[in-house]
Amino acid sequence: MRYYETIYIVDPNLDNNVLDKIMDEISKELQKTESKIINHRVWGKKRLAYQIENQKYGTYVLMQFEEGDQSKMLEFSTWMKLNNSVIRHMTVLLSDKPELHVEEEKKEEVPAKDSAIEKDESSPQVEKSPEKEKKKKMVEEPEEEK
Amino acid sequence: MAFQNRNKFCYFKENGIHEIDYKDVKLLRRFVNDQGKIMPRRITGTSAKMHRKLIKAIKRSRSIALMPYVERGIE
Repeated sequence: MRYYETIYIVDPNLDNNVLDKIMDEISKELQKTESKIINHRVWGKKRLAYQIENQKYGTYVLMQFEEGDQSKMLEFSTWMKLNNSVIRHMTVLLSDKPELHVEEEKKEEVPAKDSAIEKDESSPQVEKSPEKEKKKKMVEEPEEEK
Repeated sequence: MAFQNRNKFCYFKENGIHEIDYKDVKLLRRFVNDQGKIMPRRITGTSAKMHRKLIKAIKRSRSIALMPYVERGIE
């Protein structure tokens, strides 16, 4: 089985509801080609390297799927081209089966910060200071020579 | 600069990278000069096999506007 990845750019100023609708439409259109969608997620809002349709920013969406009917894929790509909400799209063949994307849970930052502070306190400042002095000397010396 | 060493080596072989992802812009930026041109193999030291893959990845990321086709150089 072959696996493909489609990446497309959407207008960044759209609301989340509208974006979800567009993503639903696209996944419905892709299912007409009898391919199975593995991942379909928003990659993030990024600055475009060059302006497309007078847009400087774009929301990138990634979609990974297993191949279906190859002959219908051309229809899908023309449909994507004609779709006004999609600024640009590209489909790429993947070498391996893509892994299911799981959204990473946001870790609580509070304990991490505390530990960092403790480390700073525990590390004696005496050790750091001579190194800094050495560096200062190293910088100062060549200036004196000049 | 990353490539000032006299001993040239293939970055990908050294780091055990076999596939180059076009979405990894941070990596691809190393192999492009400030005008956005792909740097030649004789300067970067990339192996021929990986250079072919690198070119493909850079061109893909250009077409989806992750990397520039042309970037303004020194005026």
